[in-house]
Amino acid sequence: MSTFKKEFRYFTIFDYEKEQDYLSQMHEHGWKFTTVYFPGIYCFEACQPEKVVYQLDYNQDGLAHKDEYLQIFRDCGWEYLMDFVGYSYFRKPAAEMKEDEGIFCDDESRLDMMKRIFRGRMVPLLVIFLVVLIPQLMRQLADNAWTQGTFRSSLFWFYLGLTVVYLIFFIRFALHYLQFKNRHR
Amino acid sequence: MDAHIKKVYVPMTETGFYILLCLRTPNHGYGIIQRVEAMTDGEIRLAPGTMYGSLSKMEKDGLIEFVQEQDKRKIYQITKLGEEVLSLEMKRIKRLYRSVKEAEQ
Repeated sequence: MSTFKKEFRYFTIFDYEKEQDYLSQMHEHGWKFTTVYFPGIYCFEACQPEKVVYQLDYNQDGLAHKDEYLQIFRDCGWEYLMDFVGYSYFRKPAAEMKEDEGIFCDDESRLDMMKRIFRGRMVPLLVIFLVVLIPQLMRQLADNAWTQGTFRSSLFWFYLGLTVVYLIFFIRFALHYLQFKNRHR
Repeated sequence: MDAHIKKVYVPMTETGFYILLCLRTPNHGYGIIQRVEAMTDGEIRLAPGTMYGSLSKMEKDGLIEFVQEQDKRKIYQITKLGEEVLSLEMKRIKRLYRSVKEAEQ
């Protein structure tokens, strides 16, 4: 039997809770997380099945002051694994916990993490959306670009498609944020 | 004290309150976590992500200040502004406590 395993999983930037659960479940089935790389290949190593809590943090200030940042997690018994696209991965065996434990202990700080993700990942996208995509689309609409030649019309459909993808993305983030606020009220 | 500080810190979270309370003596994040656990007979166990986030936020807002580094741990202490916010919060909690006492009589 192989002692290594790779799985492809796609989690969006808001799905970090699902990602944590996935890694914990794998560990409980005897597959210890080793690394993840683009575009979402998760690597595991065979291990003793164990209940282990996995947690993700998104903290750019922490990445900029890595020594102190990691030290406090280590002091609290969390093993630091790696960083991937702005997220830091931590784990701690459930056996070392007195009760359910995570890297956050109040909703305020969970919401703060979501705001950091918003600032770090969503704001740049929003700027591209407003400064590039929307003006391009408006210009092409004004030119009736979809009726003019293959190149112009395919460019128009490309921009339109991209705009739709962006919109879906923003709506998903807004829903996720509202759901979180409701769940913790 | 400006409106932003008042809006964010009055009233404040339990985590924020204990950080300011403990930082009247210089300490680092993990030191605060241990002290709070001892003070509350293990009832409040602050988590590292919450602690790190709160410390950097409070430092940015000028409620606490960096003193020195010791074995990769940043030691902070409360500032004058922090003391002001803490005393407002203590007043609020005392008022709550009086109301609880009265309700119990």
